[in-house]
Amino acid sequence: MELAAFLATHRAEILLRTWEHVWLVGISVLLACLVGIPTGIALSRRPRLRGPVLGGVNVIQTIPSLALLGFLIPAPWIGGLGTRPAIVALVAYALLPIVKNTFEGIRSADPAAREAGVAMGMTPNQLLWQVEIPLGLGVIMAGVRLATVIGIGVATIAAFIGAGGLGALIFRGVSMVDSRLVLAGAIPAALLALAADLGLGWLERRLSRWR
Amino acid sequence: MALSGPLRGPAAARRPGAGGASGAWRATAVASLACLAACRGGPAPLVVGSKNFTEQDLLGEIVAQWVDARTDIPVRRRLHLGGTFIAHRALVAGELDLYVEYTGTAYTAVLERPPIHDRDSVYREVASAYRSRWDLEWLPPLGFENTFAILVRRGMADSLHLSKLSDLAAQAADLTAGFGYEFMQREDGFRGLSDRYGLEFAGPPREMDLGLIYRALADRRIDVTAGNSTDGRIESLDLRVLEDDLGYFPPYQAAIVARSDPLREHPVLRTALVELSGRLDTRTMRRLNAAVDVDGRDVAAVAGEWVRRELAAVDDTAAISP
Repeated sequence: MELAAFLATHRAEILLRTWEHVWLVGISVLLACLVGIPTGIALSRRPRLRGPVLGGVNVIQTIPSLALLGFLIPAPWIGGLGTRPAIVALVAYALLPIVKNTFEGIRSADPAAREAGVAMGMTPNQLLWQVEIPLGLGVIMAGVRLATVIGIGVATIAAFIGAGGLGALIFRGVSMVDSRLVLAGAIPAALLALAADLGLGWLERRLSRWR
Repeated sequence: MALSGPLRGPAAARRPGAGGASGAWRATAVASLACLAACRGGPAPLVVGSKNFTEQDLLGEIVAQWVDARTDIPVRRRLHLGGTFIAHRALVAGELDLYVEYTGTAYTAVLERPPIHDRDSVYREVASAYRSRWDLEWLPPLGFENTFAILVRRGMADSLHLSKLSDLAAQAADLTAGFGYEFMQREDGFRGLSDRYGLEFAGPPREMDLGLIYRALADRRIDVTAGNSTDGRIESLDLRVLEDDLGYFPPYQAAIVARSDPLREHPVLRTALVELSGRLDTRTMRRLNAAVDVDGRDVAAVAGEWVRRELAAVDDTAAISP
């Protein structure tokens, strides 16, 4: 009950941090889609790019977050402190599931459907938009969903460079050994992850049914 | 410090004309790109930083409120940044104008020199290296030292008759240690300490977050850790600081490190910052830390009380004309 009272008195800050968190994750997943989906499509067309690009996004995933943020501080335009470098880091971490699933989704299109399209005289562009993307949409969405749920967890690192979000509550709680403050950040983060997973899962099933 | 970050993003996303779900998304995307492109601009405020623990947040607030009270320079807070690495890089890159650093940390962790123990020469060498390498200036020390303190539970210390680190070395084989990542990594951290005192614990020390360590120590999950000598929890969790009888830890005087540009630009800023030197002793710092960490009070409020009291004490003849 003490926790409930604590959460109630800190309602305004929790809402503010939750909103910052949603904003950070929303923008970074959106930007990662804008970069990652075309990249995934390009990989399905250019086999020679696959090794280097998939290797590249894999390597990004292994860079520790504090190191990545540190490298970004002196970087012109994309770097510094605050929201901007936080979004850059989150986009970088969201790329792997989106690029990989787009590529796999396009590649997994039923060869019979693809051959039928070719036999009907479709250009490669028509084949992409009318056959491969619709058939792969479920898998692509699964990648976006994964990127979003992971992003909600990873976005706590934004607090390291003063970009706010629920990490600000969590790390302040950890440094003050105040578990109520940790929970005030962790509970909304968990709820956000659940909500995003359910919502995007529903969207994914809807899109899969298109075929 | 709770509301330190500006909310440019969400505010921009709520621009008028964002009707409907897709419209809102588009507006959010446009607003974010606009923000990405144009976050800089306007009259440059003095950006005050701090690292991510309570004392640093308090010091950031104290410096920010002091500058606010003593000068007309607009102040912006960038508090609770993720550690020495982030804060130092931000200062060098000009993303911060100043933050409070400790001489020993600068000497060993930033300049990567082997630990030495003479207080004055550490301060002098750090100040001259910072100036020549990065054009950063060390102002006179604030008055307290935050050295590493090797901590044990008071009850255990009494039953094992531990008061010095040499006592600990004799009995370390039966004890478990846990240290923060930074202490494990640093030149003046665990490796040097265990060499100097011949410390051999029951197993390799657990590495964990500094904030979780106090809890683990009080809950008897570990027996020994390294904390800060100014930590308010030393009293509240009933811990004992073991004396560094071989003088291993280098001096850690706290002082403001600032970029030279704003100091040159605003002579009143230097005067105001120098007024803070010598004003904070170790006991005061421990008391301020305890007010936040133990009593759960707000950082800005605790810092504000101290600043108001000290402002009243500043001699009127020394007042800075705007």
